[in-house]
Amino acid sequence: MRRRITLLQHASTPYDPTQAHVSPDALSLRTLDAAREDRTTFALDEIPSELQKALQSCYQFHVRWASERPAGAPAPFASRVSSGLHVLFTPGEGDGDGAALCQTLKQVFGDEVDCVSPEASFITPPILSTRFAASASAQFYTRLPSLGSLAAYIERSVCSSSSDPDNCRAQAEALRSADSLDINYDSISHALTVSGFWASAPQGGWTEEIAKPVRKGTDQIEVGLLGAEPAKEPEEIKMGGLLGVVGNDDQLKPTLFSFPARHHGLPDEATYSVSSPPPTGLHPTMTITLPQASLHRPPAPPDATCALHTYLTLPSTIFGDKYQLSTTDPLFLSSHNLAALRAVAGETDLEAPDWSVSRWGSTWLLELATPDPTSEEWNVTVPLHLRYLKPSESGIRSAAVPWPVVFWACTAEDGTKMGVNPFDRANLGWDGLFGPRTMFYQLHPAPQPGAPLVEELEVPVLRLENEGLFQGKVIELATVAVISLGFVWVLWKLGLVVRGSGGGADAKKREKRGKAE
Amino acid sequence: MASVFHRPSLIYGAAIALRLTLLIYGAWQDAHSAVKYTDIDYLVFTDAARYVARGESPYARDTYRYTPLLAWLLVPTASPGPFFFAFGKVLFALSDVLAGWLIARRLVSSYGMEPARALKYASVWLLNPMVANISTRGSSEGLLCVLIVALLCAALSRRVVLAGVLLGLAVHLKIYPFVYAASIVWWLDREREVSATATTTSPSGGSGSSGNGVAGKLIAFITPARIRLALAALTTFTALNITMYLLYGEPFLQHTYLHHLSRIDHRHNFSPYSSLLYLVAAGDVQTGWRFESLAFVPQLVLSVVVIPLVLGKRCLAGTMLAQTFAFVTFNKVCTSQYFLWYLIFLPFYLPRSSLLRQPRRGITVAVLWVVSQALWLQQGYNLEFLGQSSFVPGLFLASLGFFAVNCWILGIIVTDVGCLSVQSEGRVKAKGRVE
Repeated sequence: MRRRITLLQHASTPYDPTQAHVSPDALSLRTLDAAREDRTTFALDEIPSELQKALQSCYQFHVRWASERPAGAPAPFASRVSSGLHVLFTPGEGDGDGAALCQTLKQVFGDEVDCVSPEASFITPPILSTRFAASASAQFYTRLPSLGSLAAYIERSVCSSSSDPDNCRAQAEALRSADSLDINYDSISHALTVSGFWASAPQGGWTEEIAKPVRKGTDQIEVGLLGAEPAKEPEEIKMGGLLGVVGNDDQLKPTLFSFPARHHGLPDEATYSVSSPPPTGLHPTMTITLPQASLHRPPAPPDATCALHTYLTLPSTIFGDKYQLSTTDPLFLSSHNLAALRAVAGETDLEAPDWSVSRWGSTWLLELATPDPTSEEWNVTVPLHLRYLKPSESGIRSAAVPWPVVFWACTAEDGTKMGVNPFDRANLGWDGLFGPRTMFYQLHPAPQPGAPLVEELEVPVLRLENEGLFQGKVIELATVAVISLGFVWVLWKLGLVVRGSGGGADAKKREKRGKAE
Repeated sequence: MASVFHRPSLIYGAAIALRLTLLIYGAWQDAHSAVKYTDIDYLVFTDAARYVARGESPYARDTYRYTPLLAWLLVPTASPGPFFFAFGKVLFALSDVLAGWLIARRLVSSYGMEPARALKYASVWLLNPMVANISTRGSSEGLLCVLIVALLCAALSRRVVLAGVLLGLAVHLKIYPFVYAASIVWWLDREREVSATATTTSPSGGSGSSGNGVAGKLIAFITPARIRLALAALTTFTALNITMYLLYGEPFLQHTYLHHLSRIDHRHNFSPYSSLLYLVAAGDVQTGWRFESLAFVPQLVLSVVVIPLVLGKRCLAGTMLAQTFAFVTFNKVCTSQYFLWYLIFLPFYLPRSSLLRQPRRGITVAVLWVVSQALWLQQGYNLEFLGQSSFVPGLFLASLGFFAVNCWILGIIVTDVGCLSVQSEGRVKAKGRVE
């Protein structure tokens, strides 16, 4: 087991050498104000056997989770995904038991993970990128406000057999307050990495004692106190600070390194907010509002081409009309400030009700139109549609839609190798839809104070009372009664026609014929 | 006022001008507004036509649920340019006008009407803004309606094989015209049947030979004309389906026919069944009667059996109107384009209907039909655009109300057609021939 703790301080945050003290057995942090990434790498034999089994059936497996609280994302941790649990994986060769993967996901993340099997519940994203570590072939998403189930699972199944159970439990507990979480596994390295990210320190800063690992040799804990510095090349990130291995080094060593990066930060003012102006009806319009600061071309190399994009993660309750959105009609596109629909995957059936849709939903990559930088504020609208949901007692059901991510994508110079970045992050769902040399500049979601990064929509459904006038039984019987009455009425009128002909039509006919002849 | 109808060129000119204006206006709105005049279905047709033009299957386009014939017909729309794009709409609008022309001609030849009067009633269709609107927005109903009018005309003029071919084609295009098979078969040779039964029953006379009578009737019923109609219709229908199946395979069957058997229709629409079907589809019914699975019974009993039997020999057009009205009213799904299916028969029915003889009744019918629809539309608007949960009681009661109004109207139509003397159409035709 190897652990890498990165504490990332903003250039303006004061640092005093006594805040990180190295002793032969431990490193103690004191009131350190920093963002933090905590990455632990497990060998396969260090994890519970049911997890081992599920992972071994995968060629690669990735989890991306983001909290519903807005959080900063300083470079090199600048990339974002919509809040909730994203699972991306490529099944391995051979006969892996698909249902086992979903079973494991439920065990680890809680029963609210609505997953039956990869075939029934996952969608297949259209991958454009063919980078060294190819993007995953199947994708799943579910809303997951908290990592409580994961923390409990780790404490229950991992910490009991850990060499340092107390430390393991403390780490698991800390995940409850994480802003994002990544889990990665691939069948080449046979290693599982779990990374938590905290955008800011807890109240009073990070204060803890990081003890050297109990098992020497196999286990290692590396700590870095870093800060980003201005890089020479626009595609690079430069970091400087102190590095040390707990128990090995008697003091932290200064370091300075730079690397080309896929994901770059933008100034704090480059924000966006998402709303669905009421009344939403059955056809809500997702509105993305961008202030002027978000509309400036990002600081990419001058010869790079940049375009603003949004990537929507839509649960099955809500969907876009791919024919409407893929139009090239300039009037439609400019009325919504859209440029083009670049990619769509998943449940896009225009007619199916939610209960007959088995997969989790759909993903949409849209390129956005941008105005001249002089304009004040820019609204992009995405017309969406709600599926029919099951009846409820109140006549309303709620559909939660996570905020999309919004970012600039710029083509990078040929030959830029993103993989050498020690903080590289791929398989986010949307990155695989671009070429391997693309650089991304993420905008920051800015909801109303206290509001989550999730839009809750009210979906009108059939109101079904348990007692009272409009129970299901009443609807059923009234329908039967009215239709039967209508049927009998028309039959009666037809009967009158038959009787009105007087003793049968034939007699009259014959009579007439006789006269005619 | 009547003088206008003495000049057919004026009426047809106006009908064409109305459609041309709407076509040009539609093109203008499509080019200048994000809200399009063109119907979404038309985009489905033209997308499918583009697939066909590239040698692919029209069913590559989602929600294309029609015969490949339609996509073939619209292949010119796959060419670039706004003129070619409008080709299908022009075709549909021309079908409209052609249907109106057939109506006017038939009113003269089969109902002995003055040409001016015939044109006046045909104008109910020709100058109807709803009809012109639907076809210029690119809905294919106009194409179907001209086929149905042609079918009616072919039957009235006893061109049996042509009628059979048209019937087979119409059923291939949209399933519902199969109900007309019953009325046309019943109507054809009604005179011969009457005389045949008269000759077979009169000699035996007594009650003892009733079995012989039934057999005789049955034999008398199977006439060469009826056999020719059935053969022509079945051959056309089967040949078309086999061809399409060989060309496009399973997707053709699935989207053109099987889809209509398996669809749930849980979304709100005018049908009285829609609330119940939503409950059933969501698995929330309580009695377990599965009444909705019997929904075809009242619908088919009326439109295929009782209405043709009772009215079929009196007036073919009136019977077809009543059948269509019953079929649409009792259908499990009903949207406003279905109303065109019976609107086409109004010019044949109105001249001898109590709705015109008693204007007060006529106005009540029109007002109730419009108001009950408007009430439903308002509930639908509250749901779709304001997000109010108006399924129950709003849409539920509104669709039952609209159903009740339609049943009442159907009762009037049935009574009116039932009052016509048995051989009204034939007599006029005979007279026409003599003259």
